[in-house]
Amino acid sequence: MQTKPRVLQNARRRLRDLLAQREDKRGLLIAFEGPDGSGKTTQRKLFKRWLQSEGREVVTTKWNSSPLIKPLIKARKAIRSLCPEEFCLLHAADFRYRLETVVLPALWEGKTVVADRYLFTGLARDAARGLDLNWVFNAYAPLLWPDMVFYFSVSPQTSGKRIAAVRTPKFYEAGQDITELQDPFQSYFKFITRVIQEYEALSQVFRFTTVDAEQSIYDQHCSIRELFEKTPRRPWAEFNVDAVLDWLARAPQREEVRLEL
Amino acid sequence: MNSEPCASGHLIALEGISGAGLMVAAKRLREHGQRLAVGVSKWDGSSIFYELGRGDPTLAKPSPRTLVLLYATDLVFRLRWEIQPALQQGQCVIAVPYVETAVAFGRAAGLPRRWLAELFNFAPRPQLCYWVEEPGQGSSVRAEGFLEYCRAVLNPPDPARLDSTIQGYLEALERRRGCQRFTPQLLTAAEAASRR
Repeated sequence: MQTKPRVLQNARRRLRDLLAQREDKRGLLIAFEGPDGSGKTTQRKLFKRWLQSEGREVVTTKWNSSPLIKPLIKARKAIRSLCPEEFCLLHAADFRYRLETVVLPALWEGKTVVADRYLFTGLARDAARGLDLNWVFNAYAPLLWPDMVFYFSVSPQTSGKRIAAVRTPKFYEAGQDITELQDPFQSYFKFITRVIQEYEALSQVFRFTTVDAEQSIYDQHCSIRELFEKTPRRPWAEFNVDAVLDWLARAPQREEVRLEL
Repeated sequence: MNSEPCASGHLIALEGISGAGLMVAAKRLREHGQRLAVGVSKWDGSSIFYELGRGDPTLAKPSPRTLVLLYATDLVFRLRWEIQPALQQGQCVIAVPYVETAVAFGRAAGLPRRWLAELFNFAPRPQLCYWVEEPGQGSSVRAEGFLEYCRAVLNPPDPARLDSTIQGYLEALERRRGCQRFTPQLLTAAEAASRR
């Protein structure tokens, strides 16, 4: 009789083989990251339209948007009751739910998923709120690495100026829960400076593709297209075995895969 | 074991499958420590799960991992608003349940031990831990436990197997963490010891 670790090892090996076979059929996951006011959403929309014009089926997923968890977060933000740990865990739950119900099913079916903010948003903001990055990483584990991460780099001044031109930053967006500053604009500037520092560090470690978000919209879009076409995909069998296995083990519609395992 | 379970500033964890069983045990413990101010912190103190239950029933069900993340969020809330303030005032607090019930559920659902341990590392270790085997049958207490909630959400093909895996994990707590099985005799013995 095989011992449990041996059975698991064999299951993992079979999964790796299965993922390698699936590699050409699966969709690509592209993440757009960066501070508020960096122009991600504008670029994400242009990019999506371009992908569709190229004949790809595209699914978009936005930060904090799951129909299950978002209402919980919204209600707690409204009464300003969240501490950094609750803020982190609720966003991690929202992310996990979207990953399991939107992102992975779409990728498995060969669709391209464009994420308007991905887990790095959670990591940067939670670290800026003073949480231990290892603990935050664990809350988001197992991680599903995107094929590409476009990081829209702007200075705190530009981010603050662009946001101030259109609206007053909200309480948590301005980081008023931790800066304790009454003025949302002052607080936003202080908080976004920390968030950008965290983003820059993550960008180095995880080798994001940096887009100079101070450029014109047109120039940014052109460089995104170019970078997308020349960047190789990240093989699932190499990077994402844990995350995909975690999902496949529970996804009822993946019965055929479970039988294969 | 300490002869007096309920002491000033003590955090007592009550772990188990049955919500009613846990509440009956909490009531007994509270009565036992009646000379002290004893507070009870129940799961879903933040109403996260209540609100989740009122959401759109047609949505996809959350996975065990998402449920555990939400339980951890609720526990942060309970620690911040219920447990720690009461402990600071010198009260004895009974957490119904605390960390191990969620860990038992996570393990039974196949989540990695290391992930669960790291996730709950914000929670201080309780002074005492009991696991409750009794389902609370025959009592007038009506309470749905976290595990019963999860079972209803996930609707597993073999709920008895899930329960027995969780029960096995909770039983093993005695060996691994010194978490005792809760029985009424335990309190009688504690009272006798305190009188001596």
